[in-house]
Amino acid sequence: MRKVLLLVLALLACAVFATEYMVQDELLTPDPSPKTGGTLRLALASTPESFLLYGTLDGSSYSVIMGPMFSPLVEMHPVTNEIKPALAKSWVVSADGKEVTFRLREAYWSDGTPITADDVVFTFQYFVMNQYARGNSIARFTIPDEKGVNKMIEWVKIDDKTVKAILPSPYGAFFTVLSHVYIYPKHKLEPLIDKNDLGSVNKVWLSNTDPKEIVVNGPFKPVQLITDQKLVLERNPYFWKVDRFGNRLPYFDRVEYLIIRDAEIRLAKFMAGEIDFMAISSRDFPMLKEQELTGKTPYVVYATQPTQATPSPIHISFNFDVDDPELRDLFRKLEFREAMEYALNRERIIDEVFAGLAIPDAGLILPSNKAFYNPKVEELLRPYDLKKANELLDKIGLTKRDKEGYRLFPSGRRVEFNLLVQNSPKEYQDVAVIFAEDLKKIGIKVNLQILDASLVGQMFGASNFQAGIRAFGNQPDLQLRKAIWQPGTQLYYWHYSTMDKTKTPPQPVFEEMLDWEKRIWELFEKAQIEMDPAKRKAYYDEVQELYHIYLPVIFVCKGMNIWGFNKTLGNAGVTEEGVPIFTVWTSYRK
Amino acid sequence: MWTFIVRRILIMIPMMFFVSVICFVVTELQPGDFLSQYLENPRISPEQIESLRRELALDKPAYQRYFMWIKNIVTKGDFGYSFSYQRPVVELIWERLGWTVAISVLTIGFQWLFATLMGIYSALHPYTPGDYTLTVLGFIGLSIPEFFLALVLTYLVLRLGGTAVGGLFSPQFIGAPMSWAKFIDLLKHLWLPIVVIGVSGLAGLMRIMRGNMLDVLGSPFVTALRARGLDEKTVRRHVIKNAMNPLVSIAGMELPNVFSGTIIASIVLNLPTIGPFFYSALLNHDQYLVMAFLLFIALITQIGNLLADIALALLDPRIRIS
Repeated sequence: MRKVLLLVLALLACAVFATEYMVQDELLTPDPSPKTGGTLRLALASTPESFLLYGTLDGSSYSVIMGPMFSPLVEMHPVTNEIKPALAKSWVVSADGKEVTFRLREAYWSDGTPITADDVVFTFQYFVMNQYARGNSIARFTIPDEKGVNKMIEWVKIDDKTVKAILPSPYGAFFTVLSHVYIYPKHKLEPLIDKNDLGSVNKVWLSNTDPKEIVVNGPFKPVQLITDQKLVLERNPYFWKVDRFGNRLPYFDRVEYLIIRDAEIRLAKFMAGEIDFMAISSRDFPMLKEQELTGKTPYVVYATQPTQATPSPIHISFNFDVDDPELRDLFRKLEFREAMEYALNRERIIDEVFAGLAIPDAGLILPSNKAFYNPKVEELLRPYDLKKANELLDKIGLTKRDKEGYRLFPSGRRVEFNLLVQNSPKEYQDVAVIFAEDLKKIGIKVNLQILDASLVGQMFGASNFQAGIRAFGNQPDLQLRKAIWQPGTQLYYWHYSTMDKTKTPPQPVFEEMLDWEKRIWELFEKAQIEMDPAKRKAYYDEVQELYHIYLPVIFVCKGMNIWGFNKTLGNAGVTEEGVPIFTVWTSYRK
Repeated sequence: MWTFIVRRILIMIPMMFFVSVICFVVTELQPGDFLSQYLENPRISPEQIESLRRELALDKPAYQRYFMWIKNIVTKGDFGYSFSYQRPVVELIWERLGWTVAISVLTIGFQWLFATLMGIYSALHPYTPGDYTLTVLGFIGLSIPEFFLALVLTYLVLRLGGTAVGGLFSPQFIGAPMSWAKFIDLLKHLWLPIVVIGVSGLAGLMRIMRGNMLDVLGSPFVTALRARGLDEKTVRRHVIKNAMNPLVSIAGMELPNVFSGTIIASIVLNLPTIGPFFYSALLNHDQYLVMAFLLFIALITQIGNLLADIALALLDPRIRIS
């Protein structure tokens, strides 16, 4: 018995020594004297439905799987959004950009088995590209080849530590989408799935799994799940990251998620110091900050530069295809849309609707996104100026006014339109009200059409609106938002005549596109097949500028993200630029 | 007696069937379905939604899904799968049933003990300051919404320096093996939900008990007992026993009340009972989970009524004979 134990220990030691560690950079570990041990306490809104990312669509599952338990081949740096090596220590892109060869790190699963190319191929075959897996990512890994036919990316094992991706054509966002693919252990999962019934992958590692069965490659592994009360993770001794001083990560021994359904109770537990880190709603920020300033609280809160897709930035759109011919002509005039932006009082909206917790210069890409943001758009924003708005409207011939002071079309009809807004979140309505007030001042009548969210979605989808307020979240890479911002796609809803819906898949209609829309369409196509990040940025820079010059939609603002940290957490806070710093593997207890 | 019980059980079968139809229709009337929540999720493509819809049989007409579901219950005892957890609903409900039953039973015990004692006291001292005080207290309990009472008590406990608020255990005891310290910790937490959930039903029960007592006290048989020279203690015993009758017959209704009454209080107090779980299943359109839970409530209502009738029969010979 003792011999076996010694052998196991020896093997473990070998594996640990053989590991090719990755060194975590200074941004995430600014503190030169971290302490190890202790428990990190976090909150979850409900019991995770599954421990298999691809078998579920549940948010609580995502938050414990992505980051704390599993690792991708390449990862996006939590602060800068740059692509960094993870389970793949290096990669080579072929000259034509259609083959990417990954060299895997010498690293181990939490049970000591080596991580190999088989795991990668298995993960793609049965989960990522399995159409029966609930949380599959087929859409993100299917791209058109040169002939325009959609094809899947293929994965081939070269040897145990080398794996190759074969792309139908170069794909610019490849590494971004790859950073969302978490690799799963073949040796544990293969026996559990029925290869004749690919839907069976959804039934493995559900919430009734014995945590000991779950083998991970991230910083922590699960050890205990008590339904609706608590989930406990323990340090993975085989984790493949070290800090810049050579200490093994993670610093904490355990992570405990308290499962608390009610947001108020979560907040109370955070205020009492029982939860170390969590997202805070902007509604609670003033109260928490006020308390924090007394100096007696166990926590600090930060309103940070938005880094996440939510809350979605609000925009105003004018339907280029509206039935009414006079309105259609008007909406298609650039001077009109410019006048509308001059009449938009962003400052007042941010102050009154968002309590100051929003940023105005948020269009397609967030300023915190160093990889793709084009700071030039800030100069292109037209500031609130009713005089200029009036001048522009006069210039396009809307000079006559009626008795009530509203402008008239040359036909003598009043310039008036309906603004379609969904009833929740409430910010949308508040923005609409403020916008309508200002338009009244420049002689344009706005009728607010406030309806139930699902109905509003249907109306936008059917192009059945005049003007509207809507919001779509930002993504780290514009490629992932092609379906919204590229003309002729399923969510380019303010100009649906650019898309032929009768074909499957729908096709763009170039005759309907305005010149600058054609250019945007082209830029998206070019950026998709460009592998060089610098060139892609140039394409996306131009898209951002075109959006701000020609105003297909007018961006209003984007809510900030608010985070609460316990004061005893080390390596946690915000950068000078206001971007949050926190990961479960680099934070520690001071 | 036995024929009575068998007859009652046989009536329960068609009853349960009607209940299931009504519940199914009601859940169908709710706009949208399980997949509506994913329509604007960027991670999920429209094709994926379609294939999920087929997989979950949500593309089939409602009546077909209903009969499929009923067929599986009758033939295989299978109450269906939860759409979100992808596990049998019975298993999921079972996981959460323990604490739900424990809290409900303790709450009912608390209600009955205090309600009968308060009712007896009030009836024996009618129209005195004590009677009025108890009545006012009872009605305050009745009129304050549970979630509000929960918040107020939580606030007071925190104000007075307590920390044992929310949940059933302090974090360090969750999942720890049972020990003396853990039990003490449980008691520190448990009183709050019992009081919060129990207080609302107190006034009703107390008034019924008080009314019954007054009725019985004025009835001829009490006068007869007194006239025969029985001491006041024995008379009271007979009075209480008779006054309990109507209370026993409504006991059956109490169990489902407590079950459903715990939902909001459980959310606010973060209790691991079935209530909050059912609530989110409703919001997510997790239909079979909702249906199985509703059927379960219907079943315990019926069983509760049956048990109450049996208890009543044991208590009151007149009912046994008729």
